Amino acid sequence: MDLEDDTTILTTLKSFNSFISRPEHPQRLSEHSAGSGILQSQYKRSMELLEAAERVHSKNRYLQLDQEKKQMELSHKRARFELERAASDSARDLEHEVDRNQELLGQIKKLEERAEEVNKKLTEQKEANDALQKNLEGLNKTLEERDDKLGTANQTIRSLKDEIRELRQKIQNQDSKMSAQTLENQELQEKIDLQQRKYQEVSQLCQSLQAAQSSCSDHIIKIKELERRLVFQEQDFAIVKTVKSEVARVPDLEKELKRLRDDNAYLRLNTFLKENCSLLKEEVEGLRKKLERMEKTKEELINMELEKELHAWENLGQSTGLNIRKPEDLSREVIQIQQREIALKEQNYTLNSRVRSVERSQSELRAELTQQHSKTLEEQKKREAQDALVRRLQKRVLLLTKERDGMRAILESYDSELAPTEYSPQLSKRLREAEDILLKTQSHNAEMEAQLTKAQEETGTLKLQLQTVSEPALLNSVCACIFFLRQKIEDLERERQRLEEQNNILEMRLERHNLQGDYDPVKTRVLHLKMNPTAIAKQERQQEVEALRQEVTRLRDLVRSLQSGGAVGHSQDDTHNPSFSLSLAPSKEVLDLRKQMESSELRNQRLKEVFQRKIQEFRTVCYVLTGYQIDITTENQYRLTSVYAEHMDDSLLFKKGSNGSMQLMETEFSKTLGEMVALHLHHQKSIPAFLSAVTLDLFSRQTTV
Amino acid sequence: VCAWHPCPSTETALGSSDNLEHRRKDRQVRLAAFGINSILYQRGIYPPETFTRVTHYDLSLLLTTDPKLKSYLTNVVSQLKEWLFECTVQKLVLVITCLETNEVLERWQFDIECDKSAKESSAPREKSIKTIQHEIRSVIRQITATVTFLPLLETPCAFDLLVYTDKDLVVPDKWEESGPQTIDQPEEVRLHSFTTSIHKVNSMVAYKKTESA
Repeated sequence: MDLEDDTTILTTLKSFNSFISRPEHPQRLSEHSAGSGILQSQYKRSMELLEAAERVHSKNRYLQLDQEKKQMELSHKRARFELERAASDSARDLEHEVDRNQELLGQIKKLEERAEEVNKKLTEQKEANDALQKNLEGLNKTLEERDDKLGTANQTIRSLKDEIRELRQKIQNQDSKMSAQTLENQELQEKIDLQQRKYQEVSQLCQSLQAAQSSCSDHIIKIKELERRLVFQEQDFAIVKTVKSEVARVPDLEKELKRLRDDNAYLRLNTFLKENCSLLKEEVEGLRKKLERMEKTKEELINMELEKELHAWENLGQSTGLNIRKPEDLSREVIQIQQREIALKEQNYTLNSRVRSVERSQSELRAELTQQHSKTLEEQKKREAQDALVRRLQKRVLLLTKERDGMRAILESYDSELAPTEYSPQLSKRLREAEDILLKTQSHNAEMEAQLTKAQEETGTLKLQLQTVSEPALLNSVCACIFFLRQKIEDLERERQRLEEQNNILEMRLERHNLQGDYDPVKTRVLHLKMNPTAIAKQERQQEVEALRQEVTRLRDLVRSLQSGGAVGHSQDDTHNPSFSLSLAPSKEVLDLRKQMESSELRNQRLKEVFQRKIQEFRTVCYVLTGYQIDITTENQYRLTSVYAEHMDDSLLFKKGSNGSMQLMETEFSKTLGEMVALHLHHQKSIPAFLSAVTLDLFSRQTTV
Repeated sequence: VCAWHPCPSTETALGSSDNLEHRRKDRQVRLAAFGINSILYQRGIYPPETFTRVTHYDLSLLLTTDPKLKSYLTNVVSQLKEWLFECTVQKLVLVITCLETNEVLERWQFDIECDKSAKESSAPREKSIKTIQHEIRSVIRQITATVTFLPLLETPCAFDLLVYTDKDLVVPDKWEESGPQTIDQPEEVRLHSFTTSIHKVNSMVAYKKTESA
């Protein structure tokens, strides 16, 4: 329909245009035939056309408006559709929210119930707490009371302990005194016992003495008899001794007799010895006299000995200080001494027996002492045990009394606690706390309800918004915004990912660089010691290299100089060769040799010069003096040219023969001197004459010509 | 390196946290010193006859006897201790350069952690010999293990110790700034970083690829 409308519009426009253009043509054609009626008709027609145009315009406008209206209706429908959808969605949401709300309400109720329970529990626990606190307080009080009592008890204990200590000390003192006294007692008793024993012993001793005395007297008699016998025996012994000695001498004397008899017989037999008989007789007489003298001396000796013995016996008496004159005195003395000995032995025996008895008593006493000690220790232990028992029992008593007091106090406290004056504030406290909790829960409930209402209101507003939407532009803009935002989000996400990847790559690179040793110059610095081994090594290396280079150059120069050393030696240069100025140790010999060589060469040169000079001088002198210049042409051939020679080629040749004589050779000049040759050489056989003749001849020629 | 002889006995607590921190840093530095000595020995920078076996913490460790080297190491290590205590050190690097070509052939890098918050007594105060031994052994074991795959150093080489510090540090007298002395196209091997009770030491070795093969 639109298109038809358009085509109608276009056709009308075309017709209008054609209509407008047509009258123009006829207008031009019929300009002259115009009159006012044509103008009016034209004007009418223009007006009609204008009206038609206006009508067309209005139709167009109307069509446009129709179109717009239709579009609007479409959009409207669409909007309505969408709105309905949105409405349905919102209704659904509402329903959801309503359900949720109900659920929340249910939950709230449950929570409230739980809160109430919790509150109840709280209250109960608080009550329990309060009761426990009260118990605690009561117990604390009892504890304090007990502590006080304990303190007082401790004080009493301390005082009692002090008293006990003092008593113990007193007891100890008394015990010590007792012990001392008992010891004294014991000592005295011991002394008494000793005395008694001594008395007994002494009595025993007396008895024994008496018995001993009786026995002694018997013994004395026996001894006397024995002594008499002894004396007799001694006398006999003495006699026997003398007899023995004499008898001992008898064999000697018999031997002597035998000898003498033999001698006598011998002498008697020998008649020669008759002469010596007198001598022998005199000797015999002498010997007899000697014998007599010997016997006398023997007797005297015996007497002397006897006298000596007597003297000794007398001296004994004097030495021993006893009244001894006879052996009976001696015997008496001996008897006395023996008696004394016996007495002393008896005393000894008695003393030993006493000592033994004393030792026995001592050991017995010691055993008794130990027994007493052990007994005392046991008694002390028993006493201590009993004291401990006493103490324990006392403590128990105390504890029990305290417990009893405590229990009494508890009971009293419990009784006192039940007074109502202490009970109410706690109750009020509890009441207040419960009220607070209640308020809190109520406020919480109120908040929840407010939130609920808010949510409901929001849903309501959303509904209203949805209902009151009339401008599609808002929705469009909203949608566009949303779309735009979504796109932005996606872009940002993509960029973020990219940046993350880049970041990862960079971090990897950084780590790798860190591994390799890179660092951030802004934050870190790398330091090392200036004198580090690498630097030192490098320096050393450089120094080595430089040194090596220097050595290399030096060696190269040396080599060069050595290579050119041979050429230098021959020339007479005074220039200093660098090789000669070097002082290498191994080539000192070389240098010396070189020097020697140089010097020898110089010498040679000088000698050569000198020789040449001398030769030249000599030759000139010879030429001047003799007038001939002698040249050596070849081996053993001498050419002489005279001073006065007419031609340069005029010369004489002489040859030295094998035997040493000079012979003249044929030359052109010598041919002209045939006569002289014959005269001087052949006849006179003198070369100097020939030569002098030749010079004279030439000289004459020269001077004349 | 042990010219500054660390106490071979067990470290007993004295009470102050500064002392503890000192001893911790001491131990780190000591570990580094042992590691440096073993690297020098294993890579043959100095002839093996200049190293002696010294007993510390009941372990026999190789330490150099060259006096110049010893003095150099003491200087570096004492300075390092100071810096460690101030927590301005980040890394310690041992660089091995070839003397002929002045190229860096190997680079041993130890990252040192300066954990300023680790001053509480979370670590036990008494460090027994066993833990110290364990630390030392692990360092030396790693270094010895890496020698199996590192290329031979055939040319004469020298080494240098670099310290990565904070920028705002005052450079002491005998020290100067140097470049990082990195290797061109290196092969890198991360060593098994060992943890002690205080810190974690990350170490790695980078070496120049050999042209053959």
